[in-house]
Amino acid sequence: MTAARRRALDPITFELVHAALLSAAEEMGGVLKRSSYSPIIRDMEDFSCAIFAADGDLVAQADYIPAQLGAMSLVVKSILTRWGSEIADGDVFMANHPFLGAMHTPDINIITPVFVGGRLFGWTGATAHHLDVGGVNPGTEGPALEQVYAEGLVLAPVRLYLAGRENRDVISILTENIRDPLSTISDLRAQRAACLLGSARLRETIERWGAPTVRTVFRQALDAAERAVRAALAELPDGEGEAEGFMDDDGRGGPPTRIHVRLSKRGDELAIDLSGCAPQVAGALNVPWASTRAGLVYAVRVLTDPHLSSNEGVLRPLHVVCPLGNVLNPRPPAAVSVRHNTCQRLADTIVRAAAEIWPEKAVGGSSVAFFGINVESVSPVTGHASVLSDVVGGGTGAHRGGDGIDGVDTYMSNVGLMPVEVAETNYSVRIERTELIAGSQGPGTFEGGMGIRRDYRVLDRPHRATFYGEQTIPEFRPRGVRGGGDAAPTNVLLFDPQGRPVPVPPKVSTTLEAGSLVRVETSGGGGYGPPEGRAPGLRDADRADARLP
Amino acid sequence: MSETWVVAIDIGGTFTDAVAFGSGGSLRVAKVPSTPEDPSRGLVDAVVELAAAGVPPEGVTLVSHGTTVATNAVLTGRMARVVLLATEGFRDVLGYRDGTRPDIYSLEPERPSELVPRRDRLEVHERMSSGGVVTPLTDREAARAVRQVASRKPEAVAVALLFSYLDDRHERELGDALRRRLPGVPVTLSSEVAREFREYPRTATAALNAGLRPVVGRYLLEARSRLEGLGVRAPLLVMQSNGGCAPAERAEREAHRMVLSGPAGGVTGLVALGARHGLDKLISLDMGGTSLDVCLVEGGTPPVVPSLRIDGHPILAPSVNIETLGAGGGSIVRVDRSGRLRVGPESAGADPGPAAYARGGKDATVTDAHVVAGTLSGGTHLAGRLALDEDAAREVVGRVADDLGLPVAKATRGILAVTMAHITRALRRVSVERGIDPRGFTMVAFGGAGPLHAGLILRELGLAGVLVPPHPGLFSAAGLVAADLRIDASRTVLALHDPARFQDVLAWYCDTSADLVGQLREDGVARSRVRLVASVDCRYRGQGYELNVLLRNISRAGLRALRGDFDRQHRSVYGHASQEEPVELVALRLSAFGGLPHAEPPAAARGGSAPRADAKVGERRLLLPSEQRAVRAAVYRRDLLRAGNRVQGPAIVEQMDSTTLVLSGQSARVDLHGNLWIREGGR
Repeated sequence: MTAARRRALDPITFELVHAALLSAAEEMGGVLKRSSYSPIIRDMEDFSCAIFAADGDLVAQADYIPAQLGAMSLVVKSILTRWGSEIADGDVFMANHPFLGAMHTPDINIITPVFVGGRLFGWTGATAHHLDVGGVNPGTEGPALEQVYAEGLVLAPVRLYLAGRENRDVISILTENIRDPLSTISDLRAQRAACLLGSARLRETIERWGAPTVRTVFRQALDAAERAVRAALAELPDGEGEAEGFMDDDGRGGPPTRIHVRLSKRGDELAIDLSGCAPQVAGALNVPWASTRAGLVYAVRVLTDPHLSSNEGVLRPLHVVCPLGNVLNPRPPAAVSVRHNTCQRLADTIVRAAAEIWPEKAVGGSSVAFFGINVESVSPVTGHASVLSDVVGGGTGAHRGGDGIDGVDTYMSNVGLMPVEVAETNYSVRIERTELIAGSQGPGTFEGGMGIRRDYRVLDRPHRATFYGEQTIPEFRPRGVRGGGDAAPTNVLLFDPQGRPVPVPPKVSTTLEAGSLVRVETSGGGGYGPPEGRAPGLRDADRADARLP
Repeated sequence: MSETWVVAIDIGGTFTDAVAFGSGGSLRVAKVPSTPEDPSRGLVDAVVELAAAGVPPEGVTLVSHGTTVATNAVLTGRMARVVLLATEGFRDVLGYRDGTRPDIYSLEPERPSELVPRRDRLEVHERMSSGGVVTPLTDREAARAVRQVASRKPEAVAVALLFSYLDDRHERELGDALRRRLPGVPVTLSSEVAREFREYPRTATAALNAGLRPVVGRYLLEARSRLEGLGVRAPLLVMQSNGGCAPAERAEREAHRMVLSGPAGGVTGLVALGARHGLDKLISLDMGGTSLDVCLVEGGTPPVVPSLRIDGHPILAPSVNIETLGAGGGSIVRVDRSGRLRVGPESAGADPGPAAYARGGKDATVTDAHVVAGTLSGGTHLAGRLALDEDAAREVVGRVADDLGLPVAKATRGILAVTMAHITRALRRVSVERGIDPRGFTMVAFGGAGPLHAGLILRELGLAGVLVPPHPGLFSAAGLVAADLRIDASRTVLALHDPARFQDVLAWYCDTSADLVGQLREDGVARSRVRLVASVDCRYRGQGYELNVLLRNISRAGLRALRGDFDRQHRSVYGHASQEEPVELVALRLSAFGGLPHAEPPAAARGGSAPRADAKVGERRLLLPSEQRAVRAAVYRRDLLRAGNRVQGPAIVEQMDSTTLVLSGQSARVDLHGNLWIREGGR
């Protein structure tokens, strides 16, 4: 094939090869889901699989959770930097280092090189959230942690397999540093199986279409995604917008952490200036660069085209300013384990800044409470010791088309609520109440979704616990738009066994006395349009459904 | 003695299909439009048309029925008004559901539909836990709750209390009181319809059952009286989601088990076909205008999963594992703003449908590309009712070609190739998620558009072969008569695998066996024709999900063997096992099958290896994705092909309800039952 023809691949061949690459990534996801051990992969789909060009550019991703959009590409680039000419066929790399391209230590990346005719052709990778990778806290995460060294085992790209042979030294290091080696090792095996299948599919595609064609498709896939973003941006009016949002604190009870976004759209390009964000903070709310990038890809996708392929090309029309040392681009050894809370706030702030430029895209703010609770516990049924780990969502914002959604996870994640019948069977807790909170939503022509009130009572004996919530400071509550009202803020409350309130910060690691009760009331979503404009039929329904206090 | 008939009637979204199998080996078929606003009218029309074809109503001995009446009620929100009674503090479980949202990448998502609006979600002061009663239900409180429910004037009531799968006393007390207070109103207890843990799916199942019972009950009553009016005295059996039938009365009580009533017939037909031909690896490809249903069958049993989702709502009811993909003849083809060719996910549906339907459709669709490619021709009658407008198809496909900057012929081949790439990508994903390599599988292609695409998939996926049944449009209906009666029972136990617990476990299996056998006896099935299948959902202690393991027999020895069987199954699925880890029994399951007499398909007329001269009705030029230039293909009439005939590709085989495409290099052969087999090579 001549160089000229390589440059101009016909659109049909491109689609066929591109579909084969996406198919390979999706099949990788199928293998991982089917053979993983942990529900966080199988049921909550907290993983992604992807195919990369030789230089580490992401070409095709099967994305399941927005928090991992574009994940792994920076890890592949770290492997190239670190191992260069030593990379061999049959190697399997493992990495979770937040300062070498990973997102936080529980997300372990498994990456394999694909060689064709003795030359590195590309890569396949699978990343998945593991419930525990060691460290001070059960479940690894902790808002008050100060350094990445406290966040469990940190792995720069290391070789889990050397030319097809398992590297048992690495396995030993792993098993002795984490709390649940059985689950973790099983899931790592599943990730490797996914990569091997992806590599086999990539080789089949190369055999069928020829290496030059596939290489051209790699490049054109990025170009096509770039063109799609540029075309979508070009259709929108030019303009500038900015917005700020705050985390309640710095993870350790300190002052609020500012997130600031300035957007400037000109023609088919979008400048995103994050330099107004706070400097990196003392606690674990810092966001490693790979996660910030995922947030930007998520934002571009929801603002332009939900069906965008999330490859490297999406980022090309963006000009991002985010200096090192910023909370969204921290220097080592900052702690990052609860970076997701900050990502949710980043997504919310970008959406609000975008509404300044494109008022028709304005939506009420969604809850970013992202309340998380980890309680060290014992099953009353089987006596098995384990960690209760639950996340409580809130309301989503209202929009021009209708009301928000009640009681769900928002923006960049989509984690389910733990069933009461699972919680009380596996842990010595009683969930005494889980209900939607009337009046927690912002009023409007269209109303936000309602937040959730959930009560956890610990039973039998004292329990070590970590819990954290956002948006407890009233000024930071979800905002209404276009005349719609704001939602209620989040409340995190603690009661002693006699039912007396005990003062508690919204983010804390503590020991709970037997009989004490933790209550969370998450924020609802912001309203859209003036409340006077609400249709009489909807008002009647609100009253009948007791959605107002 | 005159011939008796077993009749199968499948009411689909657009057409109602009927097939009658005569005791003397004859076959009669009918196809009439469905009547969604009054579905039993379509049923009657079908029986009338069968009668005209020589099936006297009084000669019918059994009617097997697949219906979308439950499915449509859920999808259109036309269920009965349900009042839900829940444990205090938990009335909103149907509001926050499982805490996830359906559309992650939309900032303007539509609010999910609620099974029961908040005003009709009531609470009762009581509480159970894994350790027993925490707050007792007093008579006074029960009476208050019942009064409050009655004051809401419900059409049906669902009671779903926490931990009722362990202890159903509170639910039963409330149920008795409600039934006394509200005679004639169906009352559903969650512990009766789904004795399994996890409150959201159990509550949703109870609410769906309550909401569907009046709708399904009304429909079945009407259907039966209309059939009787025509002179049909035979019992009416209804297909359930699990691939087994139930008599009409039980079908009404268990209305939530009818959601896959329609497509399940295709799966039972598939399994029966496999048994007849000794094939144990089958993929069904049921492709219509808007979607594509796929099912993989291995080892002769239909794959059944413990639950399904409809319109986002979970239903705890064993269901055949059918995957629905958004690819059909109506999938819209366009060039997006970045210049890429897109096929779907949007669909022109049946109305306006493809441009070639000449009903005002302006978008190019996959069907239009087939018309331009010559694989469908203007003379072809889709479902025997519709002519195709070739000019309209050429115009819309021409526009796509212009946008791509390609000649029409090349663009048409490209559209079909990209469509195939999407379908095979979906098939690969579905297979790998089930741990199956599709090579070596035989594809059974039915529905209007299945046979048109099967030859292309055969080549792309490297399948063993393709089988096109004699009446692809009627395959799901015909499959209904292959089903047996089936009843499922289950119970969550969450106990360690420990001999000390075996007695309790065996007691449940024995009591439940007696109950299910008794129910089948009432249906007229002798004990000798009842088959019981017991299984247990198991996991290692601490694991978050479970594997279903067959119980070799209901005995202590069977339970002892379960441990090793679970380890082996775990190793085969996950590549490892942990013999030293304790095993937990999560749920006990029992299915009872009542054997029914099955009709055999009639033999096809025999012929030589060459089709008779009049079977070949012409030639067409085809644009095929597998060929660089147009090829000439012979066109055959399916009804004139005889058993033993061979057809060499490229060829088109046309019949009333479908068109089959055989590629160059493939050949097709008609077997003794009139099935068309497509294979690579041959001659």
